[in-house]
Amino acid sequence: MGLLTILKKMKQKEKEVRLLMLGLDNAGKTTILKKFNGEDIDKISPTLGFNIKTLEHRGFKLNVWDVGGQKSLRSYWRNYFESTDGLIWVVDSADRMRLQDCKRELHALLVEERLAGATLLVFANKQDLPGALPAADIKKGLDLDEITTHHWLIQGCSAVTGENLLQGIDWIIDDIASRVFTMD
Amino acid sequence: MSVASAERKTKKKGGGLSGVLRREQKDPITEEELMKKDVITPEDCLRLNGVTDNYLCPPEANVYGIDFTRFKLRDMDSQTVLFEVAKPPPADNGGEPEFDQEEMDPNAGRFVRYQFTPQFLKLKTVGATVEFVVGDQPVNKFRMIEKHYFKDKMLKCFDFEFGFCIPHSRNTVEHIYEFPQLDQDEIREMIDSPYETRSDSYYFVEDRLIMHNKADYAYNGGT
Repeated sequence: MGLLTILKKMKQKEKEVRLLMLGLDNAGKTTILKKFNGEDIDKISPTLGFNIKTLEHRGFKLNVWDVGGQKSLRSYWRNYFESTDGLIWVVDSADRMRLQDCKRELHALLVEERLAGATLLVFANKQDLPGALPAADIKKGLDLDEITTHHWLIQGCSAVTGENLLQGIDWIIDDIASRVFTMD
Repeated sequence: MSVASAERKTKKKGGGLSGVLRREQKDPITEEELMKKDVITPEDCLRLNGVTDNYLCPPEANVYGIDFTRFKLRDMDSQTVLFEVAKPPPADNGGEPEFDQEEMDPNAGRFVRYQFTPQFLKLKTVGATVEFVVGDQPVNKFRMIEKHYFKDKMLKCFDFEFGFCIPHSRNTVEHIYEFPQLDQDEIREMIDSPYETRSDSYYFVEDRLIMHNKADYAYNGGT
């Protein structure tokens, strides 16, 4: 077996991507996860722990971790940082009241050493609601332009209709792949 | 890919799903040898060459209050739920349970028998969800190894590290995976040999075996 074959095999085996999905409670993290995987989203209750999905997408093994966002659970988030390739920050775009909280929690994550190498995707969720702020306003509200430490993108989306979920996920995978794996 | 990034990736903890058939077991170990050990590790269970005759730990080894509360299987191609079982929540109407099952059989709840139709073996991609609750203390390095065999042949081995579990949490994990490819003869044989497809599920906390569940499967339902 030549070196190239060995390297190729390693690459095949190692095309594993770990995504961590966080955000305030009621942002729609679990709904995004379920919608993306074609599951029923009618009865979703607050996550009091985590939901994990492992799936294959575009030849990558995705391990997606959705951890509950209630205040009492946020101190446990740090237990899930290790080995994270991509952070998906989910925002309820209609929750103007808590945009400041949302910004503070996000920026606290960005200084975490164990998330230093992670790509950041911000989902401005609930764009289907009439009161939702557009992604550009969420970007301002969260001071995303201040971020220089991480590759990031904000994507308006709706977990209920499924709009733009795939675009967001594909972007984060592409970004991770270009950093971590050599493209064929 | 650079070698450096390959090394980085191999250090990954948590979240590996190995669906690869390991046809030959390096350095196999027997159930008898394992029963003599004080602590059974994930590596020990990976070295076993088949299903065990006995449970490798007593129910009391689960001091973490980990309890499986739901199991769901769906067909990803038709987007239909094939079946779902859930434990009823405790004390829903204040009625006394008629009897304590665990007193009658210490292994009740550790073994499940599944009866499927032959159609089941034709599925391509399935999503298997388990839901579990955790007791009042945090759980570190929670890991599951599940090995499926038909007779002596390993069909599939799941090896997944959940990592940390929050006290009093309710968690779910869904593995979406391709069904192992079987040829027509194997399918026929599996249908004709009910309950000779078996699985062992081993659960570890900090690399110590704390739960061991078993299941067997028949595919001759509805015939």
